Amino acid sequence: MKKIFIFYILAVALITVILSWGVVMAEGDPDMDPALSALPEHPPIPTDNPSGKNIYPSKMDKKQELGYLLYFDPKLSGDGSISCADCHDPKMGWGFSDPISRGYPGTVHWRNSQTVINTGYLNKIFWEGGTTSLEAQAPAAAEGAVAGNGSRDMMESRLRFSPEYVKRFKEVYGSEWPLIEDAYGAIAAYERYLSQPNTPVDKYMKGDKNAMSAKAVKGMVLFKGKANCAECHNGPMFTDEKFYDIGVPDPSEFFENGIQQVTFRYQHYAKGSTEDVYRSHKSDPGIYFKQKRQEDKGKFRTAPLRYSKYTAPYMHNGTMFTLEEVIDFYDKGGGEDRWGNKTKIMKPLNLTKDEKEALKEFLLTLSGEEIRMPVPKVPDYAPMADWQPKK
Amino acid sequence: MKKRIISVSVIIAAMLFVFISPLMAAEFPDIGPLPERKAPNPKAVELGKALFFDARLSGDAALSCATCHNSEMGFTTRDPLSEAYPGSKHWRNAPTLLNIVYKGKTYGWDGRLDDLDDMLRDMITDSMNMNMDMQLMQERLKQDPKIVALTKEGYGDKNMGTSQKGEMTHYVARNALIQFLETLTSKNVPFDKGNLSAKAKEGMALFKGKAGCIQCHNGSYFSDIKPHNTGVPENPEVFKDPQRHFTYVAYMMFMGVDNRMNWRRDVGYYTISKDMKDIGKFITPTLRELKYTAPYMHNGMFKTLDEVIEFYNKGGGEDRPGLKDSAMKPLNLNSSEKEALKEFLLSLSGDPISIPMPKGVKVEYQAIPNWKGVKN
Repeated sequence: MKKIFIFYILAVALITVILSWGVVMAEGDPDMDPALSALPEHPPIPTDNPSGKNIYPSKMDKKQELGYLLYFDPKLSGDGSISCADCHDPKMGWGFSDPISRGYPGTVHWRNSQTVINTGYLNKIFWEGGTTSLEAQAPAAAEGAVAGNGSRDMMESRLRFSPEYVKRFKEVYGSEWPLIEDAYGAIAAYERYLSQPNTPVDKYMKGDKNAMSAKAVKGMVLFKGKANCAECHNGPMFTDEKFYDIGVPDPSEFFENGIQQVTFRYQHYAKGSTEDVYRSHKSDPGIYFKQKRQEDKGKFRTAPLRYSKYTAPYMHNGTMFTLEEVIDFYDKGGGEDRWGNKTKIMKPLNLTKDEKEALKEFLLTLSGEEIRMPVPKVPDYAPMADWQPKK
Repeated sequence: MKKRIISVSVIIAAMLFVFISPLMAAEFPDIGPLPERKAPNPKAVELGKALFFDARLSGDAALSCATCHNSEMGFTTRDPLSEAYPGSKHWRNAPTLLNIVYKGKTYGWDGRLDDLDDMLRDMITDSMNMNMDMQLMQERLKQDPKIVALTKEGYGDKNMGTSQKGEMTHYVARNALIQFLETLTSKNVPFDKGNLSAKAKEGMALFKGKAGCIQCHNGSYFSDIKPHNTGVPENPEVFKDPQRHFTYVAYMMFMGVDNRMNWRRDVGYYTISKDMKDIGKFITPTLRELKYTAPYMHNGMFKTLDEVIEFYNKGGGEDRPGLKDSAMKPLNLNSSEKEALKEFLLSLSGDPISIPMPKGVKVEYQAIPNWKGVKN
């Protein structure tokens, strides 16, 4: 009897502790949600790719500067015509303004290009969340057939024939010749530099109550409460980095555009869909590609909401052009349950016009000033100093 | 009187032929006319021809097979060094595709590829050639109703890499290209028809005898398909132009060649064997259709046949001790002999083969109507 009593006391204490940590459990909630919070002053720096903790707009360190050049250098693509910045363009919120990203020349991508800003804070990258570091994202993009279509051998060789790169790689890495892995590392370091931890919402959460308008504060209450956005968009990056089907509609591009249909089938073929799926599917099945499980069809990683002021259009296929459209979509309880996998979290919200506006006002506090950096002059090629042929 | 001189010279030529040629030719497969080949399926050929000219077979749709293997130029180009995929430049001469189906093995100047299907796969996927993803290529081709229809006609009874008969796949695409290559064979070759001038006959005797060409250029394909170092000088453009040089370095990386930043020569067959004695060896090229395939050698260093003959007459070029083929010795040919040899070499070329680009080749894609309603 006494033992049971002690157990009860402990259980109550535990629950109290959990609640006091700010962990919120909504009604019918399958999991415990981390609270919304301010971003740390700089993203975590991996021990195997050290760089400065400085972020935009302070001065870059040598590795970040090297990454800055490489980010804008079309040498890192198949035909030397596009760089990272072509699909992740500073003028387009460091993403791409078409619903579907432009892709490699002669092709088109099949998903929306996401912003680079604050990606240093993410653990899961890409819409399928299958990449866990910026160091791994860079090669996936530079080498994918409908993205950069570059080969490692060719790109590495190109860098070796730019004396300025040879000098800079030596300074940063101490290597005799540039290595492609180091190029990807430098790009990742540069992308960590592109962080924005001091937005109005960050200031507000750190105690500056004037950083957000009353309307935005009302929006935040809705975000966490009635609109239930924080069920998935939580933590400092406003994403739980989990996977959900919310019923985003198919983009019209797939119906109207031949080259888009080519890429759609290619993704199925290259990612190893079963023949039945390859032949019958017309919608993007998202993380199905990872393990080919029926219950994963239509699920995508929750998108981070930071910097979204500049990253329209929205969703994995860019089908929504404005934040208003996005809010309306959620207000209706999301889209069609195409696969039988749509999350139960999606329910009509019955938001008033006023509430929708407040929600939008809050969403805009997740972005600071627009980050712009000029296109640098990228290093030229030169013959080797001792180029003369010899037998 | 004149007649007598001719007949005497013919007799002398015949005697030379009888006495000298057995010394050489006996050790090597004799030269001779090309054997007949089974005619390919004309529908498959039509598909292959369409693909040959289709730039959608390259990554950024900038070039087709015909860009570097131009039918107006003997299925090669006039440039000493070939064109390459944008963003790179080639470091070797584009070899002709004429009669390539007779070769049967060891494709490429360094003999990297043993099978025509592999050769095509690499030309399409190599980053310096067409830089194409095979799976993406397949889906591009499936988007073109004309290609889909041609595939049904040519491969209606076959399923290659698919469960569906008559469906376009990258296997079908390469097979159709091979069927098209089957049609790129010599026509009306004077040598094959036994229609040689007296001078050409004299040249043939030299070819088999004093000049010793037959030691490597033998069989009906006029090649032993083996690697040899003849000491061809390096083409300085390969190293002077950083784009060519880095393309070559990228290739060496791909092939796992050591010391790749320091080579200032084309190492040739060493790329494959990694044996130092193979440095500078290249696979003997065919001599057929050479009338149309100048410039010559793996790096296009010789513009004319006269230059080539002069090169061999001097005993070839320079190389480090032990690398050059011991068969390369000064030939002491006089100018009349050189001309005879050239006359014979020219008799190995037939009618020019020109294949106009088929109509309707394009790089755009039509949308499939009723996309949701039809199967992929």
